[in-house]
Order: sequence, then C-alpha cells, then structure tokens
Amino acid sequence: MKQKLSLLFIPQEKNNYKSLLTHPSFLGIFIAVYLLNQSLIRSFTILKPGVLGYSSEITVQKVIKLTNQERQKNGLPQLVYNQDLASSATNKAKDMFAYNYWAHNSPSGKTPWDFFKEIGYDYSTAGENLAKDFYDTDSMVKAWMKSPTHRDNILHAKYKEIGIGVVNGTLNGVKTTLVVQHFGLPLNLASVSNQQNPPNDLNSESPVLTETQQILSQENSAPLISPLQISKTLGIIMFTILILAMLTDGYITMKNKTKRLAGSATGHISFLAIILMLLLFSQQGSIF
Amino acid sequence: MKTDILKDLKKNPFEFILLFLILLTGALFFLYFSFNSHYQRRVIYATGAAYCFWSLIHHYRRGDLQLSIVVEYILIALFATILLTGTLF
Repeated sequence: MKQKLSLLFIPQEKNNYKSLLTHPSFLGIFIAVYLLNQSLIRSFTILKPGVLGYSSEITVQKVIKLTNQERQKNGLPQLVYNQDLASSATNKAKDMFAYNYWAHNSPSGKTPWDFFKEIGYDYSTAGENLAKDFYDTDSMVKAWMKSPTHRDNILHAKYKEIGIGVVNGTLNGVKTTLVVQHFGLPLNLASVSNQQNPPNDLNSESPVLTETQQILSQENSAPLISPLQISKTLGIIMFTILILAMLTDGYITMKNKTKRLAGSATGHISFLAIILMLLLFSQQGSIF
Repeated sequence: MKTDILKDLKKNPFEFILLFLILLTGALFFLYFSFNSHYQRRVIYATGAAYCFWSLIHHYRRGDLQLSIVVEYILIALFATILLTGTLF
C-alpha cells in the first residue's frame, strides 16, 4: 500500500522517474472519473427529479427594493410595481419550468413580448431579465448590474413599471428558483398613476410569498443537495491531488537532479493553481 | 531537459512572465464576466488554448518539443477546462 502510494507521488525508477499521478494515462483517468460523476448526477436528476437543487431566499419585495436602489444611485426615478407585469413575469417563469428551457425565447418560438401581450399589457418599450440558481437577492441583483445588457434594463430611463416573478420548480431535473424581471413603459401613461399596491411594504425584509411561491415553496422545504457543490468538491479534491503530486514530483526531481523529458512543472502548477482558484471562488447562479 | 522549477524560472524569465500574463488575463476576464456563462466558457477555452500555445513556444525554445510533451499539455488543459466548465455550467 505504502509502495503504491509512493509510486503515485514520488518519481522513481519504477514509474520512469515521473510520479504516476502526472502521467498522461492518470490524467485520462482523472477526466474519466469526473465525466462519470457528471453523468451520474445527470442520470440521477432524470431518475429522481427534484432531489438535487438550489435553495433560495429570494423575495419579490427585495428584488424591487434593490432594483429601485440601483436606479436611485444613478439618479433615475423609482419603478412602480405593476400587477400585470408581475403576472407576465410569473407566467414566463412557469413556462420555462413547464417546457424545460432557460432562455428569453421558448423552444416553440414564444418571445418575452408574447407574455406581455397575453396579459393585455400594452407597452411602447419593454424588457426582460432572467436569473436562476441564486441563493440570495443581493448577489442576483449584483450579477445583473455587472452585465451590461441586464444593467441597461435596470437603468433604462424610459421604463416606468416593473413586475417580478419568483417561482420555485424543477428545471432539467434540478430544483431551483427562477426569477423573471419584466420592465415596461405603458402606452397609456395615465395608467401608471392608478397603480395597484405592491405585494407588500417594500421596506419589509420578511419574505412574503406570491401565490405561486406559496404553492411551490413547499416542494423546496427540505434542504437541497446542490449539484454544483458535489461537482465543485470533487473538482477541488482532484485539483489538489494533482497539484500536490506535481509539487512533490518537481521537488524530488530538482533534489535528485534527474534529467528527463517532461512538461514544465512550473507551467503546469501555475495553470492548475489559477483554475483551482477560479473554481474555489465561483458562486452559484446564472443570468440570461 | 532538466525539470527544475527554479532553474526553469531563472533561465526563461520572459517566457514565464508571458505565461503568468496569460493566466492573469484569463482569470481577470473570468471574474469580470461573473455569472455570464457564455463569456466565461469562452474565456476558459481561450485560456486553455493559450496555455497549450505557450507550451509549444516554451519547449521549442528549449529544444525539447516532442509529441509526448504536447499530449501532456493538451491533457492538462483538457482536464482543467472540463472540470471548470462541467462544474460551473
């Protein structure tokens, strides 16, 4: 056992003066093991949909509050909550779950504008921001603000109204929360003043669920196992083992002044270390 | 053909500065495009490709550019890009 371990990490005659873990065949095994893990996760989401997923504490109120805070910071007027836009946004999120897609346009060719029209919202300008897999509202709004196109929607001077859809469900076998932000400038500007009330006091931090959230959040009550965490943990373990093997290999080769034909240990370690850092600091959530 | 980390760095400082610049640029672009999977994916592929390209220059100049070495770099780049893209997207 000890000898086998030493062959994996320590360059010696038996492993052709190169630690086994850094041999091309072992790199191939690493890739195969990782791909197998990904396939198992994928199969599991098909066989047992809804077991893996992302938990979330996103609320409609906080999305509106943070969006308006960003507008205020940029000297723009606040957006007013509109129930029709909230319905179109919620319908869009439900549609993505129903037809299992993650995009502005549905596989059947339905555009975001169709959702506005369906609920009878006549607009001169409108926009849509999408987000999924985020745990909290702050990081989601920050992500939108970092993306030029989503930022343009949030800071569009023409928009007067906003509606948010926060819906829990299962997408591609993974439980998640989809957030849809619909913006609009109604054709009839007079209607903006006759606003319906926002879903709750916008200063309240307590999560108040929309009807859809209330129904679907029951599914999300159990703690979820995030597929990202499973893959990330395996990835970190693999990167660490490989970097350790390369450091040991490089140190012993240097100490023994071994001459051999091999890639640059400095180059490999630098490249793998940078990728490991990116993996460590990556966060869950994506926008569209 | 000696694999000696310190000697490598001392002997070819500019080549390693170039490598660190490639990796740093890749990391900065990756962080800049946080949550934008389309651009992040492209940044990862470009960094992996640039790393392989750097290895060609580095080993050509060292005079030990061999197929086995090229395969080693390609496998390491593949391993890193598959793990990062597979985990994040």
